[in-house]
Amino acid sequence: MESLLKDFKSNVDFIIRIAGEGGEGVISCGELFASVVARTEYHVFTFITYPAEMRGGYSMIQIRVRDFTIYSLGSKVDYLVVFNQDAYDRSIADLKKGGVLFYDPETVTVKESDDIVSYDIPLTKIAKEITGGTLGKNVVALGLLGNLFGVSIDALKKLISDRYGKKGEAVTEKNYQALDAGSRFVEEKKIESFYRLSTGKEVSQNYMFLSGNQAVAMGALAAGCRFVAGYPLTPSTSIFETLHKYMPLVGGRAIQMEDEIAAISAIIGASFAGEKVITPTSGPGLQLMAEQISLASMIEVPLVIIDVQRGGPSTGLPTKTEQSDLKFAIYGGAGEAPKIILAPTSVEDTFYQTIRAFNLAEQYQLPVIMLLDQSIGYRKATVKLPDFSKIRQMNHVKKGDFIKIPQAHLIDIYDRIEPDEEELKDYKRYEDTKDGVSSIARPGIPGGQYLATGLEHDEYGYSTQLPDNHLKMSKKRLRKLQTISRSFEKNPIEFYGYHYAKIGIIGWGSTEGAIREARYLAEKEGIKIRHLHPHTISPLPERQISRFLLGLKFLIVAEENLTGQFAHFIKAKFGVRPIEIHKCEGTPFTPDEIYRSIKKVARISDEDTITQL
Amino acid sequence: MKTPSLNYKKANIKPVWCPGCGDYAVFSALQKSFGELELKPEETVIVSGIGCSGRVSHYFNTYSLHGTHGRAVPTATGVKTVRPDLTVLCVGGDGDGLSIGGGHIAPAARKNIDITYLLLDNSIYGLTKGQVSPTTPETYTTRTTPYGTLEENIEALPIFLAYDISFVARVNALNMKQMVSVITAAIRHKGMSIVYIMSPCVTYPAMPWNSLKEGWEEIPEDHPRDDKMKSLELAYCKSPLYTGIFYDVERPTIGERLDQAKERGLKKNSKEGDLLTVETILKDFY
Repeated sequence: MESLLKDFKSNVDFIIRIAGEGGEGVISCGELFASVVARTEYHVFTFITYPAEMRGGYSMIQIRVRDFTIYSLGSKVDYLVVFNQDAYDRSIADLKKGGVLFYDPETVTVKESDDIVSYDIPLTKIAKEITGGTLGKNVVALGLLGNLFGVSIDALKKLISDRYGKKGEAVTEKNYQALDAGSRFVEEKKIESFYRLSTGKEVSQNYMFLSGNQAVAMGALAAGCRFVAGYPLTPSTSIFETLHKYMPLVGGRAIQMEDEIAAISAIIGASFAGEKVITPTSGPGLQLMAEQISLASMIEVPLVIIDVQRGGPSTGLPTKTEQSDLKFAIYGGAGEAPKIILAPTSVEDTFYQTIRAFNLAEQYQLPVIMLLDQSIGYRKATVKLPDFSKIRQMNHVKKGDFIKIPQAHLIDIYDRIEPDEEELKDYKRYEDTKDGVSSIARPGIPGGQYLATGLEHDEYGYSTQLPDNHLKMSKKRLRKLQTISRSFEKNPIEFYGYHYAKIGIIGWGSTEGAIREARYLAEKEGIKIRHLHPHTISPLPERQISRFLLGLKFLIVAEENLTGQFAHFIKAKFGVRPIEIHKCEGTPFTPDEIYRSIKKVARISDEDTITQL
Repeated sequence: MKTPSLNYKKANIKPVWCPGCGDYAVFSALQKSFGELELKPEETVIVSGIGCSGRVSHYFNTYSLHGTHGRAVPTATGVKTVRPDLTVLCVGGDGDGLSIGGGHIAPAARKNIDITYLLLDNSIYGLTKGQVSPTTPETYTTRTTPYGTLEENIEALPIFLAYDISFVARVNALNMKQMVSVITAAIRHKGMSIVYIMSPCVTYPAMPWNSLKEGWEEIPEDHPRDDKMKSLELAYCKSPLYTGIFYDVERPTIGERLDQAKERGLKKNSKEGDLLTVETILKDFY
């Protein structure tokens, strides 16, 4: 039995939201503030939503600060900074009772309310005095927040010069002035500061502050990936950019192709040539890649494809979040082609699941699609640095070895299995083995030459249309999935909460934290919950899930789409009828939203018990 | 001409082309070129697309990748980018390279990726049994133009020159000697090379063998291969139709540029100029 209550005890836990218009620097203001807080002893978690256009439209960043691990962006906001009327109108309902509002009187008219504390901050006026224009409003706000939350103004200045230093000394100087003016305003208005986050305590250097997208890039490098080909596509682009920056520095190569089809073709070529490869994309790009994903399954080359999901269908909501590519990832593509679908649950998990994606791809020689979404890709969080002394390069792996899920204290890196001398005497690239995995030769190895063809082929790789052979080779390829599924059963069980609870909840991907917090809220009310959050979406560890479902009276499946894609998958596999919770608004679940559904189900469950008695 | 010292043909595998297909000649020329260049089969990669020509990769004793329709060039780009030590060839037909995969040629030319692209033109979709291709002559009726042609056909050579592919050649499947020497030069060329090969189909004779017999001439020896305007003139010329190397210039390849970019990146980010470890990089996110 695992209680969450101790996990969620904290002295400091608050949420700040800064909202305005795209182009006003709202997000950079929040990011700089968060970066400085991340250097204190506190944990930080950010969530960003911004318009698809370069300028205009609602844009906001939400920052949660806590003294222990943060699982979700939280529900209601404690402090709200609004730059304009639209931001006020859209955000005010999210402000907690007793929360604090900062607004610019020049651009915002507020409604009188006794439930909140309001401060008018003349951001525009101050900015105009210093810069002569409205630019710099965000830096004034940053100075204000810095002072209110007691973070080091010097540290903020350092970040500003790192970020805007390129624009010249005059601009940096103006920014410093704006920062100081914002900070001074707190004293002038005699606003009492809320927290002193910088206590001067020695801060451990073992933490990184990075986004889910950056975690993918870093995980790829740690796994030994040395080639990326891609095409820019929101919201996956920052993976691509980060890899472009670092790939050459570790001796790898990064190229931008003409479209997603070319991108996946290039990584297929590079993987065939022996390299560990990745391409980041989003739903629309994944669709374009479909034919080549089938090819990769057929010729059995390892690939890692990252889909940072956004609102769909079509161009949809490029900068908003949604979990709606699941069915396409699992079922998309002609023919019966084996692939693995993974879904990381947090920024930290993203780092390790990316390493795992490479291990699985290399070991089983098939495409691994990892489903992130905008909310996890753009989420920044403090993450414990892995212990690099514990990284093991697994050189002599036997086929079908159990691959442990990488964690901070244990990271195994697997490479593909190459043929030995004995095999090369009569090399069968696609040998029909017991586990479906056959050794893969890298160009340059004499005697390992083979043909990788998308046509049906025999064990040597020669194309043939014989009926027996098609059956045999189809089974060989799909047998890998059975091997993988069996191996996944050995992973630690991915469910949490009360073993004997009558209500179970299943989620996948980025919603893990929100569900965990909702579970905590339920637990406080005496509602016991079991929670399953599989990292592997396909193939599912079926025995583990069957055990989870055993004895449940009610099953809830929560996901950020409208049709219940994972629920459908679970229904088909296990013949259960879950209660589905959907959210399809472009924003992630808050713990409150999930908790409310749990409460409703708990009420039905109670009544049910009464009738049964 | 030297006899090949190495055997590049797969034993026991017979080509499936129709008797009299131009692709046999190309197959034979390629083996001779490989022999002249003394390529090691294990260090040679042939990437091919879909179509009769795509089958070329099946018959060589090299590392071969027979992928999807139209995607041979970006696939080969991936192979060469991570493995500059390999000799990478790309084979496709007129449908593969000028229709479905036509969009990939210009970006590959911009990269000047060091691959040799053999584009075998038979002016028809042969494998799917006789549909119109981008180069089918207007006078030839196909199964998808039963009442006459609907589109203009395209001239490939001037397009390749406009894309600025750093080596552009055309050969005729009847001229084995020239085909071998041009393919050899193309493989030797540093950067992207394209050899546009007239390789007739006998079953759907949109480009009959007879059309290769007359009106063709080898490009004069004194043609300045670095002069694009002169090359364009020869490429557009109908009488005679020229074969040989139209254009051949040296430009940096993307491989070289990637190496330079790496050096610049290391200069900026690494004290000793050594490669960084992932552990060091993660410190950027402290």
